[in-house]
Amino acid sequence: MKNKIKVFRAMHDLTQEQLAEKLDVSRQTIIAIESNRYLPSLGLAFKIANLFKVKVEDVFVNGN
Amino acid sequence: MNVKRYKQIRIAVALFVGFIVSIAAVQDSYILAFFGVITGMIFLVLVRSKTKIKIDEREKTIREKAAQMTYAIFAPTIGIGAFLLLILSYGKISVFSKGDFTYLESLGMIFAYLTLFLITLYAISYYFFNRKYGGGGNEE
Repeated sequence: MKNKIKVFRAMHDLTQEQLAEKLDVSRQTIIAIESNRYLPSLGLAFKIANLFKVKVEDVFVNGN
Repeated sequence: MNVKRYKQIRIAVALFVGFIVSIAAVQDSYILAFFGVITGMIFLVLVRSKTKIKIDEREKTIREKAAQMTYAIFAPTIGIGAFLLLILSYGKISVFSKGDFTYLESLGMIFAYLTLFLITLYAISYYFFNRKYGGGGNEE
């Protein structure tokens, strides 16, 4: 599972710290998700997608 | 107060408690040790209440995995330890020293009950969480 959080974050001009604050998670969690070391829960995935106003499948892409 | 500051204070408190307990040990004063530890605990609780500590889902996952691994290692270790100690005590086999093993059986029994307690606690919490997260029912 890959994700485009880094891209969307850049598009919305957000730092990792700011994104973490908005999602109510730690910065370490954002770093781990961006580097594909941690797969977020469904709830957090929807929260991320809602924040960027896109669909979940636009942020998280299945496959290598 | 941020987490970094909290961690620094926690280290300082740990050092303080360690210092007080060591003084208490030298002076053979249980009361001093007791109050040293209690003071440290109260201070840490107060500091923690003032600190915004964020526990998110990743942190919870890490804790779950750490707890799982701790259980998976600790339960068999202490269980086997209890078994070996009881075998040694009943068989009167000298392994550790040439003296009598007055405490081997007691230690073995403590370990055995501890293992039992641990497994029971695990079973109860498993049952509870299984029911909480929708398991155990017969609904279709």
